[in-house]
Amino acid sequence: MADVTRKPIRQPIVDRATALLAGPFLLGQRALGLVFQPDKSPGDPPPEPAALRISIKPPEHAIKRRG
Amino acid sequence: MKTRLPDHGPLETPKFWRTLEERVETLDAQEAAHHEFLPSAGPGAFDDVHGLPVQDGFSRRDFFGLVGAAAAVAATVACDRKGQGTVVPYTKRPVEVTPGVANYYASATNEGRRVYPVLVKTREGRPIHITGNDEHPGVKGKTSPRTLADVLRLYDPDRLRAPKANGRTLGWTEAEGQLQAALKSAKASGKAVLLVSGAVVSPSRKALLADLKAALPTLEHLAYEPVAGDGAEEAAKASFGQSVDVQPRLDKAKVILSLGADFLSGEDPESLGAWGAQRRLKSAKDNINRLWVLEGPLTLTGTNADQRVPVVPSRLAAVAFALAKELAAKGVSLPAGTDLSAIPAQSEVPAKAWSNLVKDLQHAGRNAVVLCGAQMPAEAHQAAHLLNAMLGSEAVSVRAAEPLATVKDLETATKGMGEGRYAAAIFWDVNPAYTFPKASAWKEALAKVPFRAWIGQVEDETAAQCQLLLPENHWLESWGDFSTASAAVLQQPTIGTLYDTKQGEDVLLDAAKALGAATADNYHAYLQARWQKSLPLGTSFAQALHDGLVKGEDKAASPAFKGASVAAAAKKAADSKPQGLELVLFPGFATHDGRHANNSWLQETPDPISKMTWDNPVAVSVQDAQAMGIQEGDYVSLSLDGTTLRLPAILQPGQAKGVIALALGYGRTTGGVAKGVGVDAFPLLGLDPASAHVRKGAKLAKAGGKKELSRTQSHHRMEGRDIVRSLTMDEFEHHPQGHHHAPEIVSLYEDQKFPDHKWGMVIDLAACTGCSACVVACQSENNVPVVGPEQVARGREMHWIRIDRYYEGELENPKVVHQPMLCQHCDNAPCENVCPVNATNHSPEGLNQMAYNRCVGTRYCGNNCPYKVRRFNFLEYTAYKTEPETLANNPEVTVRPRGVMEKCSFCVQRINDVKIRAKGDGRAILDGEITTACMAGCPSDAIVFGDLKDPKSKVSQLVTASRAYRVLEELGAKPAITYLADLKNPAAGE
Repeated sequence: MADVTRKPIRQPIVDRATALLAGPFLLGQRALGLVFQPDKSPGDPPPEPAALRISIKPPEHAIKRRG
Repeated sequence: MKTRLPDHGPLETPKFWRTLEERVETLDAQEAAHHEFLPSAGPGAFDDVHGLPVQDGFSRRDFFGLVGAAAAVAATVACDRKGQGTVVPYTKRPVEVTPGVANYYASATNEGRRVYPVLVKTREGRPIHITGNDEHPGVKGKTSPRTLADVLRLYDPDRLRAPKANGRTLGWTEAEGQLQAALKSAKASGKAVLLVSGAVVSPSRKALLADLKAALPTLEHLAYEPVAGDGAEEAAKASFGQSVDVQPRLDKAKVILSLGADFLSGEDPESLGAWGAQRRLKSAKDNINRLWVLEGPLTLTGTNADQRVPVVPSRLAAVAFALAKELAAKGVSLPAGTDLSAIPAQSEVPAKAWSNLVKDLQHAGRNAVVLCGAQMPAEAHQAAHLLNAMLGSEAVSVRAAEPLATVKDLETATKGMGEGRYAAAIFWDVNPAYTFPKASAWKEALAKVPFRAWIGQVEDETAAQCQLLLPENHWLESWGDFSTASAAVLQQPTIGTLYDTKQGEDVLLDAAKALGAATADNYHAYLQARWQKSLPLGTSFAQALHDGLVKGEDKAASPAFKGASVAAAAKKAADSKPQGLELVLFPGFATHDGRHANNSWLQETPDPISKMTWDNPVAVSVQDAQAMGIQEGDYVSLSLDGTTLRLPAILQPGQAKGVIALALGYGRTTGGVAKGVGVDAFPLLGLDPASAHVRKGAKLAKAGGKKELSRTQSHHRMEGRDIVRSLTMDEFEHHPQGHHHAPEIVSLYEDQKFPDHKWGMVIDLAACTGCSACVVACQSENNVPVVGPEQVARGREMHWIRIDRYYEGELENPKVVHQPMLCQHCDNAPCENVCPVNATNHSPEGLNQMAYNRCVGTRYCGNNCPYKVRRFNFLEYTAYKTEPETLANNPEVTVRPRGVMEKCSFCVQRINDVKIRAKGDGRAILDGEITTACMAGCPSDAIVFGDLKDPKSKVSQLVTASRAYRVLEELGAKPAITYLADLKNPAAGE
């Protein structure tokens, strides 16, 4: 049975192949460019997770049941 | 909504139902029954024919483009070295800590007058799990859901970490110096100092307050508990001439009459334990109690009633006094001076039920008890006192207690503050700026007090009105003691202070010293000195701390009932007529009086009755809602005495007509979790202490709009199959399997072999009250994440164990059965067969186990599970935890990431812990030695876990009980969990 939902082919096969290869390449290049931009400031760095500064101290004078 | 009411069509009303839609068999409900998950729980829409995701406007080209981009970005991002952590070993290991080995400390806490002796598990110095103290003769190792969850409050990121004065952080020397200077100045000027604290149930705290009062004679102390029930306090003063603490002794009760009392709600582990002991029947010849409940809103106790009659709360006292009159007419003697002449015959309870109730009480005599809800009017409490005195009840203990302040006392204090009576005010672990009904008047008056200090953990509404903020220790960092009927209980720290905090007692002790009192250096020394004088011979303080208690006779007096006090109450009760809608304000299951509102575990635990999370909608009876055209989630305006609230409504089956109910403790304006959750109902609290929580003349009207409720009652459907069973005692005697017959299972699979152990569980529905302690215990033990209200509304809550609440019968007064539902660890598990990566598989000991790092998140297992107990982490729920909260994690349980399916493991870490210890000792595992978190948390001992390979184990004996059945047994999945059918014990002929 024919697939009626399929779109008709309007572009030559070479155009489609070029787009398929070029699209990811260009997007990837852009993505790399976002990370490595020597002439631009890198912008705000992502917030670092807060360091654990809470020191755990054992309780004084307490008597443990078991452990 | 597509609706077909039962009288308009041939559909049969289902026997058990969870939602009103199921009850009236709407077409929506029928359709929904085929969706085991909420449609919103999935990531998007699916094709109804092929079950494939619908791809509107998304072409193959788009797909390839995105795949290419994603690959490039992933390659780039992968080059970044993120998330590097360092593991630092102990340079000097504390002697108490052995890495990998848990320490347990006995301690205690309180909520109002109720004391919870506990055992705290710590790992590497961090408290991570709480259970009841098994040495305490009353609680026997059990505790309440809120106490279980309180370990999270220790790690609340909102805790104040150092003293503050007018917004400036300062050290303790300067902060305490400011407080002491203000108190010295007040003492010198002779002006009064106001101290408002919570209930005083600690003998040493009481002694300390007396020392402070001696050093500062102008000190005025109010112990205020906003939801303890002013009516109960007023009634105690009338009936006994003093404040009392009423504690049920259900082990001695054969007939229990509740007047709106919710003693099975989970707050009272002692009552739950005694209740469960009389409900876990092996045969119909065993003793079982009978619970009568007369109440307005449906409470958890009401859902466990053998016979329940909806009664408007303002009429409860008249009904109870009529009962006393009827018993007196049948020969039960009235206390001297009792006059019930004003009481007419009652009409609220149907004649047959009334006659059975009178017979039951008269026959049970001293084994009968009448309990009244804390929020009920004072006259109802007095009627309960009278009935217990008439019956000579041995099933209740009435002990003298420290008095509590009522709203009237707070009003007097407000007036005093406004008139400039006080030189200083100190608020210690209380929040009157939120809980006092006239909060704005309170704040206005407080501003006229020159010096205002606050002692607490998280800056709250009252802290915002004070100049000096003193951060307090959590109780897990504190010393203390408590008095209970069966033993004195000691509180000791289980961790050193996390922040620069002090316990409130130390602050007041330092203040007393500065004012000239000769007292101990610190509260620990103060406590120790007091106890060393009074410990029994041969008991050391260290031994008492080890045990967490000192057993001994109860020293509190039992005051006598004054019959003459009844006449005025009886007349008031007889004259009380309902006016308009009657509003009942009750403490929230999750929030209590608001003090737990910042605890996300509790906010996300579904309310045991309404199954609401993260909200407090007003509950309306089904009859009233139909008359007013209100539907589930509709916004309504609730007006009373000039205060109007806009909030959503829910329809509550079983709630008395003319009654609306609203939970307190929501609508906070501070706290990272609590802020903005629900609506603050305290402005509706009455200023008459006799009936502060039951208010007549409320008005309700539709306000337009509808709220999507974060309510779990319709989630995880099991397609209306035969899941829950309930029997009457008569049926149990004659047809223990009811009308059900065990199906013959024919399987293509070979029976599995379990060489050493076969773990299994039995859950007794007759003992389960639905209190949800197991849900919280599991959350704490297994690092179950919190997802928030929006995700709950989409059906994505993560609890490994849920309590399904089923109604049976009429909307006006249904029977209720609670069923804990968790992974059934099936031998022929349908989830295991469909996992494409073998992430879920079967252990040689019968556990259905998960390899989280193998799971790729297809969710096939969740779809194929007939019990709907698998949970998928759609978002990175665990990443929302901030640094101190992660300290509450159990290091023995993997924290699961996004995209992974998770579920109950039968607490495999606990099984392995016991196995390792037994192997080390060179012995076999003892029956009962392994306790899952849900079992250990269950206050009524409804859950039993053990080895099915051991014929002598408790669990092996229970699986063959006459009430035993397995859910959906006919599917042949061979679940490892057996349920025992629920039991109701109605009076003959009911």
